[in-house]
Amino acid sequence: MLFRLSHARSRKVEILLAIAFCINLVFWFSVKDIRGRWGNVPPAPERGSAAFFGLGDAQLAYRLTGLMIQNLGDSGGRVTALKDYNYDELTKWFYVEDSLDSHSDYIPYLAAYYFSAVQTPESFRPVLDYLSMVGQRSEGEKWRFLAQASFLARKDLKDMDKSVALANMLVHHKRQDLPEWTKYLPALILSQKGDKEASYDLIVELLRSSGDKLDPSEVNNMHYMLCHTILTPDQARKNPLCKNYMVHK
Amino acid sequence: MSFPLVKYVLIAALRDKLILSFFLILVVGACLSLFLGSSAVIEKEYFTVVFASGGLRIASVMALVLFVVFFVRRSFDSKDIEFLLSRPVGRMQFILSLSAGFSVLAVVIGIVLGVLVYALGPNLFKDSYFLWVASIIVENIIMVNSALFFSMYISSAASASMAVAGFYLLGRLIGQLLGMSSSDLVDGWGPVPMIMNVVSVIVPRFDLMGQASWLIYGYSGDVGYAIVFAQGAVFCFLVLCAAMLDFVRRQF
Repeated sequence: MLFRLSHARSRKVEILLAIAFCINLVFWFSVKDIRGRWGNVPPAPERGSAAFFGLGDAQLAYRLTGLMIQNLGDSGGRVTALKDYNYDELTKWFYVEDSLDSHSDYIPYLAAYYFSAVQTPESFRPVLDYLSMVGQRSEGEKWRFLAQASFLARKDLKDMDKSVALANMLVHHKRQDLPEWTKYLPALILSQKGDKEASYDLIVELLRSSGDKLDPSEVNNMHYMLCHTILTPDQARKNPLCKNYMVHK
Repeated sequence: MSFPLVKYVLIAALRDKLILSFFLILVVGACLSLFLGSSAVIEKEYFTVVFASGGLRIASVMALVLFVVFFVRRSFDSKDIEFLLSRPVGRMQFILSLSAGFSVLAVVIGIVLGVLVYALGPNLFKDSYFLWVASIIVENIIMVNSALFFSMYISSAASASMAVAGFYLLGRLIGQLLGMSSSDLVDGWGPVPMIMNVVSVIVPRFDLMGQASWLIYGYSGDVGYAIVFAQGAVFCFLVLCAAMLDFVRRQF
C-alpha cells in the first residue's frame, strides 16, 4: 500500500518535471535569437575613482579596463563597426587610463593603430590630442605616437595644419636623439600641402644647421626631396643646392 | 605560545584540504591569467603577471579567511576549544598559538603565490618583486588575524566570513575613499568624510601593499619595507588584543 502511494507520488513528480522541461524548451525558443544590445561606449569614470576597478590597485584597474576597451563592442557574438563608437567618450577613457598608468604603451597603441582605423576619420579628431600628449613624453619610444598622430591627421583627416602642428612638436621634442627624418617631417607635410616655400625654407635651414652632423644618406635624401619634390625642374636647375643632386633623365 | 597547538592548526589545514584547494585555485588562476594575457594586443606578459598577481592575491586571502573562520567556529561548536582549554594552556597563550598557526599558513601561501607570479613572468624580475611578496605575506597575516578576531566575536560562520570580506574590501579601497573625502568635491567637514576618517584609523591600507605595478615597473618609492612591516605589526597587535579581550572575558 505504502509502496503504491510512493510510486504514485513519484509518477506525479516525473510529470511535473516533464512539464517544467517543456516550459523551459518553449522559453529557450523564444529567447535564443535575442542578443544583448550594445549601448555604445559607457561613460568614463572620474580619474580619481578609476582605481576602484582593481580594488584599489591602479595597475590591475589599468589592465582590466584596457582589455575592456580593446574588446569594447565585440563580445557576446557581436561585432561593432568602429564608426559606431562614441569617440568623445572613448577619448575620456584613454585619459582615465593614462591617469592609472602613464608608462604603458598599451592604450596609446590601441588608440594609434586600432581605433584609428575608423571609417569616419573626423570622429578620430579628439584622439589626436591624446596621442600628442602621450607622444610629447620623453620616456621610451613614446614619440612614435606623435609621429603617428601627425600621419593620421594628414592621411585620414586631410588636416594639413594639424599635421604640421603635430610634426612641429616632434621637431621640438624633449628628446634630442630622435631619428633625423622627424626633423624634416613638417617640411614634407608643407610640401604636400602645397606650401613649397615654407617647406623649402625648413629643409635649407635643417641642412645649414645640422647638415654636417647628419648621416650622408639622410643628407642625400633631403637634397633629393628638395630638388625633386619641392622645387620645379626649372627651379632645381638654377638652385646651387641641387647642383650635384640632379637626376638627369 | 604552545607548539602542539600550532601543529594542531597546521594539521587541520591539511585535513581540510586547504593546501590542495589552494593549489587548484592557483592552477585555474594561472591558466585564466595566461588566457586573458594572450588576448591583449601588446604587453601580453604584463597582462598575465598583473592578472595573476591581482586575482590570486584576492583568492589567497579568501581561502585563508574561509579556513580560519570555519575552523574557529567549528572548534567552538564541537567543544574542541573547551577541551583544549582543559589542558595546561592559558587563554592568551591559546589565542597566540592559533594566530601563529594561521600566520604560518599565511606565509606559506604568500611564498607559493610569489613563486607562481615569478614563474609566469621571469623576464620581469626586479628587486621590487621581493617587496611585493613581502607585502602579500604581511597582508595575508593581517587578514588571518582579523578573521580570527571576527570569528571569535561573531557566532555565525557565514556572517563572520562576510564581515571579514567587507573589512578586506574596505582595506583595499580606503585609500581611494580617503582621497575622495579630501578632494574639493566633498565637504571635508561633513558627517560622511568625518566618519570615513574615523573608520580609516582601524582599517589597514591594503591599497599601499602588493601593488602590481611593482612587478612591472619596479619600486615607485612611495611604499617601502618599513611601512609594510610596520602596518603588519600595528594591525596584528590591535586585532589580537581585541580577540584576546573577548576570549579572556568569555564564560564557558
